[in-house]
Amino acid sequence: MSAFEGKQTRVGVGEFALRMRVTGVLAFIVLLGAVFAMLSPRFLNPQNLAIIASNAAILAIVAAAQAVVLLTRNLDVSVGSIMGFAAYLTADYAARHHGAGVAIIGLAMVLGTLLGVVNGLIVAYAAVSPLIATLGTMSLYRGATYLYAHGRDVTSNELPHWMLSAVDFRIVGLPALPLLSALVVVLIALFLRRFAFGRQIYAVGSNPEAAVYYGLRVKRVTLFAYAFSGLLCGFAGLLYAARVGTVTVVLASGWELSSLAAAVIGGVSVAGGSGTVIGAALGALILASIDNGLVLLSVQEFWRMFIQGTAIVAAVAVDTLIGAQIRASLVSRRFGGVRA
Amino acid sequence: MSARAIWRPTAWEAMLVVLIFAAAAWSATLSPYYLQIDQLLYSTRNFVIPGLLAFGLMVVVTTGEIDISVASTLAVASVALSKFAAVGAPIAVAALLAVALAATLGALNGFFVARLGLPSLAVTLGTMGAYRGLAFIIGGGMGYTSFNDPYLYVGTELWFGVVPASLILFAVVAAGVGFLMHKTTFGRRCFAVGMNKTAAWISGVNVDRLKITAYALAGVLAGVAGLVWIGQYGSARGDNADGMILFVVTAVVLGGVDINGGRGTVLGVVLALLLLGTLRNGMGLANIAGPTQTVVFGALLLIGVLRPFVAGLAQRWRTPPSDPFSRRDDTEQTSESNSITNNITRRSAL
Repeated sequence: MSAFEGKQTRVGVGEFALRMRVTGVLAFIVLLGAVFAMLSPRFLNPQNLAIIASNAAILAIVAAAQAVVLLTRNLDVSVGSIMGFAAYLTADYAARHHGAGVAIIGLAMVLGTLLGVVNGLIVAYAAVSPLIATLGTMSLYRGATYLYAHGRDVTSNELPHWMLSAVDFRIVGLPALPLLSALVVVLIALFLRRFAFGRQIYAVGSNPEAAVYYGLRVKRVTLFAYAFSGLLCGFAGLLYAARVGTVTVVLASGWELSSLAAAVIGGVSVAGGSGTVIGAALGALILASIDNGLVLLSVQEFWRMFIQGTAIVAAVAVDTLIGAQIRASLVSRRFGGVRA
Repeated sequence: MSARAIWRPTAWEAMLVVLIFAAAAWSATLSPYYLQIDQLLYSTRNFVIPGLLAFGLMVVVTTGEIDISVASTLAVASVALSKFAAVGAPIAVAALLAVALAATLGALNGFFVARLGLPSLAVTLGTMGAYRGLAFIIGGGMGYTSFNDPYLYVGTELWFGVVPASLILFAVVAAGVGFLMHKTTFGRRCFAVGMNKTAAWISGVNVDRLKITAYALAGVLAGVAGLVWIGQYGSARGDNADGMILFVVTAVVLGGVDINGGRGTVLGVVLALLLLGTLRNGMGLANIAGPTQTVVFGALLLIGVLRPFVAGLAQRWRTPPSDPFSRRDDTEQTSESNSITNNITRRSAL
């Protein structure tokens, strides 16, 4: 076997495994759907499917945000707090200034981006472990929301009417929220795949050291990933606020775990550099389906947390084992020609 | 190093002592009752439970891994104790079984991390959720509050009328972990593995077994903390110690334990716990609300992790250019790129 051929097969193995991973996620969705459909006839009801899609929509955006950060070999556990902060401040502003109009979407995104930039500065430029840094900012952001709120909720009748009706809007009978979410996720996927800066995110995550020597501005790329994650979380926070109607200070707490679970189940590697935002969005769909199925089967709510946690461990285990398989096959191929 | 680490505090540990006295002085201005001995001793309940968790986490962190599931393990242990209490099991049996359960959960983390080679952060994030769910599944949604006195002993008893039994337990555990980490082969190996896993493995350390032991120890201490919990709060529920992980991680980081492994002292963690406990007590006296306290602890955590960075900046700023004729550009560049790659490799360890 010549070196050239060896290289060809090597690329083939990696690509094949990655495709298998996304196929695996899709297959799992089908399997999950089949099981729930057998157990509960209501599961495949179009109305129920629309509910699942709407529930998955916002989580899919946050999971995509988490995925962008994970791709750079970092982590953001402050996503839920950013959502809560941006949602509360924006909702409060909208409640006070009814004429503000659609501009408040921009406000939510700016607030989210600012918090994301703070995360990025701490992680990228002060070289603080991403878990510790965002664990700190998670409590800072949530605490800041508490302090700002003074124990007051923004109720749904204070919010502008268009905000609440926008999430229930339908386009030719289909709910608009999942379509919007799909559009956002596809745009991020295109950006990551087609743009040089998007490729840099993968490069930094798969081998930061090589990226430095290659001349990539690793710190800047990391900062961008956090800022972008913040922007998406701000947007998702506002969507979530509009969806639930009453904005409390604890809005979206616990989403750090869900978003991470969705991204990891969808095949985004916590070791960075591998995975797609579309996979992360599919992971969100899986979580939403499980939630919905458990409710239909009237399983106690506690199981949700247990299943999410177990799913993270299982998905990470599967990814690690696949990775080990790929490496093993590469080594045998690389040395195969020599030995033969 | 070990003897010095215990008896001769580092500059940062001396700083922590100063901060503790400052926090105590501030507290004393808030309330005339602050300096009464029973108040001081009673206020230790502010840090005993997170302290036990912090010692376990510290051992795991020195080996270069992390465990953020300890608070959830505490919840499982406390709920398990409530189940044993409900069937009237004697406390000694119940406590043993609960601690054994917690140790198993810890060892399970260790198994995933060491044997399967999974990243500890993702694993323990997952088990943080899974164990929390498990606690709810075992205990149901309602809390259990009808513990009999033997179950509450560790968390409520005051020796000689003033010294909480939990404080004695805390001191014993602190001394035990201090001995383990700074005086035994096990501790030395923990630091060695955290510094350089490969080098430790080559020199004959069974890295997998060591890590599993470290995780199991964190589980044991979480189980013991669960026992103290039901004494202090008299209740066991699935959401026990929810959110406590911030306080625990803050204590470990503020105590000067290197989050990337290989460095740290038990003394530092004890001092950080005293500081955090004093602050929490003081903020309680000053009627500062829970959310503000969370902000303060979050800020302290960030200060703790940013400390080496700020120190580095200050040093770079202070150091005058030594020799104008040396090729400073070259040397600076190499040191810069080295520090970048160092940072990256160290970060990726987490």
